[in-house]
Amino acid sequence: MTDKDITIRLGAAAGDGIQSAGEILTRMLSMSGQYVCTYNGNQSLIRGGHVWFHIHAGNWRVTSLGNGIDYMLALNQIAFDEHIGKINQGGAIIFDPKTVKAGTIPAGVTPIRLPLTEIALKYDKRPLMKNTVGIGALAALLGIDRKEIGEVIQLQFGSKGKQIVEGNVNAALEGYGLAAKSFVPTKSLEFDYSKKRMFTHADFALAAGAVNAGCKFYAAYPMSPASPILHYMAINAEKMGISVLLAEDEIAAMCATIGAAYAGARAMCATSGGGFALMQEALGMAAMNETPIVVVDVMRAGPSTGLPTKTSQGDLNMMLGISQDDFPRVIIAPRNSEETFNTMGRAFNIAEKWQVPVIVLLDFGIGDGGYSTVDNLDFEEPIDRGKLLTEVGDEGTWFKRYELTDDNVSPRVLPGTPNGMFVAKTDEHDEYGHDLSDVEAGLQHAVEKRVEMMNKRMGKLTGIAVEMNLPEVAGPADADVTLVSWGSTSNPIREAMRQLWAEGVKVNSVEFCDLFPLRWKEVAKMLRKARHLIDVESNYTAQMAGLIARETGIMIEDRLLTYSGEPLEPAEVVEKVKNVLKKEIGVSVRNKAL
Amino acid sequence: MLETKLYESDIRPDWCPGCGDFGALSAVKNALASLEIEPHNVLISSGIGCASNFPGFIRTYGHHGLHGRPLPVAVGAKLANPSLTVLAIAGDGDEYGIGFNHVVHTARRNHDVKLLVLNNEVYGLTTGQLSPTSVFGQRTKTTPYGSSIYPLNPLSTLLGVGATFVARGFSGQVKQLSELIQAAIKHRGFSIVDILSPCVTWNDIYDNVRSRMYSLDTVSHDRTNLHAALDRSKETEKIPLGIFFQNEDSPSFDELLHKTVNNRFPVNEVKHMTEEEKKVAISIFS
Repeated sequence: MTDKDITIRLGAAAGDGIQSAGEILTRMLSMSGQYVCTYNGNQSLIRGGHVWFHIHAGNWRVTSLGNGIDYMLALNQIAFDEHIGKINQGGAIIFDPKTVKAGTIPAGVTPIRLPLTEIALKYDKRPLMKNTVGIGALAALLGIDRKEIGEVIQLQFGSKGKQIVEGNVNAALEGYGLAAKSFVPTKSLEFDYSKKRMFTHADFALAAGAVNAGCKFYAAYPMSPASPILHYMAINAEKMGISVLLAEDEIAAMCATIGAAYAGARAMCATSGGGFALMQEALGMAAMNETPIVVVDVMRAGPSTGLPTKTSQGDLNMMLGISQDDFPRVIIAPRNSEETFNTMGRAFNIAEKWQVPVIVLLDFGIGDGGYSTVDNLDFEEPIDRGKLLTEVGDEGTWFKRYELTDDNVSPRVLPGTPNGMFVAKTDEHDEYGHDLSDVEAGLQHAVEKRVEMMNKRMGKLTGIAVEMNLPEVAGPADADVTLVSWGSTSNPIREAMRQLWAEGVKVNSVEFCDLFPLRWKEVAKMLRKARHLIDVESNYTAQMAGLIARETGIMIEDRLLTYSGEPLEPAEVVEKVKNVLKKEIGVSVRNKAL
Repeated sequence: MLETKLYESDIRPDWCPGCGDFGALSAVKNALASLEIEPHNVLISSGIGCASNFPGFIRTYGHHGLHGRPLPVAVGAKLANPSLTVLAIAGDGDEYGIGFNHVVHTARRNHDVKLLVLNNEVYGLTTGQLSPTSVFGQRTKTTPYGSSIYPLNPLSTLLGVGATFVARGFSGQVKQLSELIQAAIKHRGFSIVDILSPCVTWNDIYDNVRSRMYSLDTVSHDRTNLHAALDRSKETEKIPLGIFFQNEDSPSFDELLHKTVNNRFPVNEVKHMTEEEKKVAISIFS
């Protein structure tokens, strides 16, 4: 089997149905045994503007967006103009000459002129099905079996009735027939119709993983790109018995999550950076009263409102420093949908075992904005609720909820348990949860207890670090260049390394999924083995490089950074590595549209 | 009736001698004992301020949280364990100032949590600044020449947003207050009891309240009549005490949620998905 892959892009105005067209095509490819990775170039509007959908598919595990565009469907002028220059040699662009005026078409790119609107109007009063005709045409270029078309359209539109399904199938088949006649494909895929692959984005994967981990309480206020998590929970609330609270704001969402966790539920809330800023005081509360919660930030480009539908990894510093004074927090940034699903059981276990807030960082690129194949979902991560007591002896007025122990974790009891009464305090408190902050503040015993309590809470980090995963090293142990990344930036790096290896370049990567706390001495040892380090991430100040410098003293000065809102492409990583090998060292910044 | 000593804490309240909050504390203990709700089945969620020091002065489960946020914590806890009696107890700064947004929406959604606001019409613990319920003309540290701001009327506002139980009590009348709190706890859904609880240090309104108060039980007030309730809540010369309004026909948020999603709380059931649930969970993945 030879490695084969292809890139496809669909462009139109918002409201033209490009999202569902992209999904149909992604589904067709997945049902034909392909691995997929997609990116949703959408805008913060409902109608008009320009939106596009990019698909990279292949018979090998694609992780990123591939290189350029092989086949393009342009439903309006701006889609044509904006993307024509990115089409690869040997590629093709499908458009309707009635709606799109083709300017100069680069040599080596084949224009395929099809009467998309005219065909669409045969099956409906409105020309909406022109995207379905286009899907049929693309399917023909890809060489997908015609039979797949009916099956997938049935899946997508089945709920809308027989007439709509039939109209769409016929429209697609007509597009298929015309395109097959007018173009001889230059690039092909290797299909295996017996392999039906699943795909999803990290938002849904996170929600499903959380529910499998026993999460029965979810609270949120809508915010892009975290809203799909809320939608997933709402859709599945009845079948899974999940209490879903659409709160009045993010402060309430976070506080209700803490209330639910305090009362014993595995509870979670999610938002994006702006909402997280509102949650910050309560994040400190969870750490102070040692209530286990999982909080999710699906990052988008900021600052402030920023670019609501564009991607970024700009919130790491925020997560490291959010809320007043020092308290233990755990930060995990899964790299893709599959890893996100498989992380959630661990996230809840760490939260409950160590009685701390656990932050999961996703970004638009792998969250709401991008699908990827999920092959290996681990449903069996054991549930560990830590020191959770189900009964308590009658030992006095109050339960020693914040008892000082060797591992800094105190036995926990849930409201409703006889003899277990205590006060979960945000004031500094003694072992029973009583104030050290008012009538005792400043007294010798209270001063000593305050120090003990700070040591207890912060001491958890040492124990947690032992359980956290070290970064994964991908590629050969012996490499001239080592790429350092966290979360989703490992995806373009993986594809870039394939190309570089094929050209004989010795390159590997160190990819952080667990970010904090870590066994930093071991991390330092890993990084010191590298001959030349390049930090790759999606923010202005190289925030991960900053964390690494803070914890290990290793300063990575060679960097590939993007804060354009667009995800990194493998080609840019390739270029950066080659430049470094030519001794062109320094900070490189991306500013191209995808 | 249970013995009130079951609820006795070994922590002495740090309120000033004569503080109205002592009366409220006695009334809450008496109400819980009268309703025979055992201490371990009670959760009191509070905020920040004198009134919010309440948990710990009474032996129940407590959550002493953030300024203005007692209600969302209470809402989450009640959803997670519906068998708990969940009270939110805080001051007028917490509930009518920084956290009023939560009061409005918790009332609107009719969550089954009971809000007791110890309203002293001043910010006490921060040493006497103007609060949202401070009266026009009130002299405080922030209004040295007298306030030129009209106060919030919490009762008429909450009647307006659809609260299903609205009452006012006085911490100088412990027995009547206990009865109001009992009625609030028994109510189906959200209830608010605004408790006039004088601050002897910054705003001593004991005499003022005593001279103007009357009980709604002594007049012919129909508590099922929203318009009558609004009229009573708007009175300024006299201070009506008692239940202004009660609507027991509306199901609580919690009732509706447990009916529609059949959530399987409490929590001794944290476990993986069933095979059936797994299929549902990933059906969206293909």
